[in-house]
Amino acid sequence: MLVLGIESATAQVGVAIGGHEGVLASAHSARDRRHAESLTPQIEFVCSQARVELSEIGVVAVDVGPGLFTGLRVGIATAMAVAYGLGVPMIGVSSLDLGAFAVEHSRRLIVPCYDARRGEVFTANYRSVPGGVQRLSDPVVCTPDELLASLMAKSEDVLMLGDGAQRHREVFSSISHVEFAGTSLQYPSARSLVDLAHPKALREEFVLPSEIEPLYLRLPDAEINWKTRDGR
Amino acid sequence: MLVINVTTFSPAQTGSLAEVLADLAAPGDVLVLVGDLGAGKTAFSKAYGAALGVDEPMTSPTFTLAREYEGRLRLHHLDVYRLEQMSEVLDLDLPELLDSGGVVLIEWGDVILPMLQADYLEVRFTFGEGDDDRLIELRPVGERWMARTDQLEAACALLSDGSGGSSC
Repeated sequence: MLVLGIESATAQVGVAIGGHEGVLASAHSARDRRHAESLTPQIEFVCSQARVELSEIGVVAVDVGPGLFTGLRVGIATAMAVAYGLGVPMIGVSSLDLGAFAVEHSRRLIVPCYDARRGEVFTANYRSVPGGVQRLSDPVVCTPDELLASLMAKSEDVLMLGDGAQRHREVFSSISHVEFAGTSLQYPSARSLVDLAHPKALREEFVLPSEIEPLYLRLPDAEINWKTRDGR
Repeated sequence: MLVINVTTFSPAQTGSLAEVLADLAAPGDVLVLVGDLGAGKTAFSKAYGAALGVDEPMTSPTFTLAREYEGRLRLHHLDVYRLEQMSEVLDLDLPELLDSGGVVLIEWGDVILPMLQADYLEVRFTFGEGDDDRLIELRPVGERWMARTDQLEAACALLSDGSGGSSC
């Protein structure tokens, strides 16, 4: 079954297509956050490079975050539109899962850490297990100092990756048992998304497009209080 | 809490205040504009934008929620008047607007304070006795604005040498 993967949760936007033989083609760009302009041409490009018609796609996978708001919106809306149009199901995968999956063979505690802006990061803890990674904690948005405190409490060695780890490297460097993955892993990739989604697709672990929900960790649940305002 | 009071007697004087504040603009600044309909929030915004070097006409963002202009700094002009839920503020994507080095003006911004960063300048407009009189309070909040209070006061004092009045 062919999987179309759309990933746009960070400063990077990417598309990949693949199946049982692995990823057939992919495209990624990280210049100037032009996600809305880049995504559809990337889908066309990747399909043509893989010599696949869009109608051959069996499932659309998408990164559901946590991530940067505008990119996430563009990616999820586009992925849902393609899935609706083709009449195929979807698979939603967390950006942090993708980051951890890219280093699935590390024996360290795996800590993907993406830049949430506003002096915060998105993060969760993972460990390697046979066949992939297992998430050990809920995804959170927190300050680098808060993440530092939780990592200092760990006795095991830590592998950090992601643009959040890069941006706040000075903070995390203060602990000795932390190593940093390189810039090639600073964003989740659409290739990882296809790799991770394909076995799920074979197990039919998919959902309807209408069931895809972005993971907004900052989502507030309050109504704006206009009642105190006489002017409106 | 420090408040700088400025009284203006015409839209042009309110515009002059916007100009001196625009001269102090730095990447990542947030100005929260507060005041009833017609109090001068949009007029202030237009003068602020012009002083930043925006050369296209600025229109009210009430129905579009946000508009973006290019000047010395990128200017994002937002209006939350039509929002009902705090979660809708996410649609405005403030963290990214600020992280990319822009300056953000938010009309009616006082109702979404929980969604804002810790640093902002509140500009509050109230009606004075005469039709064109406006009492304008500047309230610097957070470190980056507290560090600029001297500049704010100096700029407002400069303004009051004209015909507006300023006191702290």
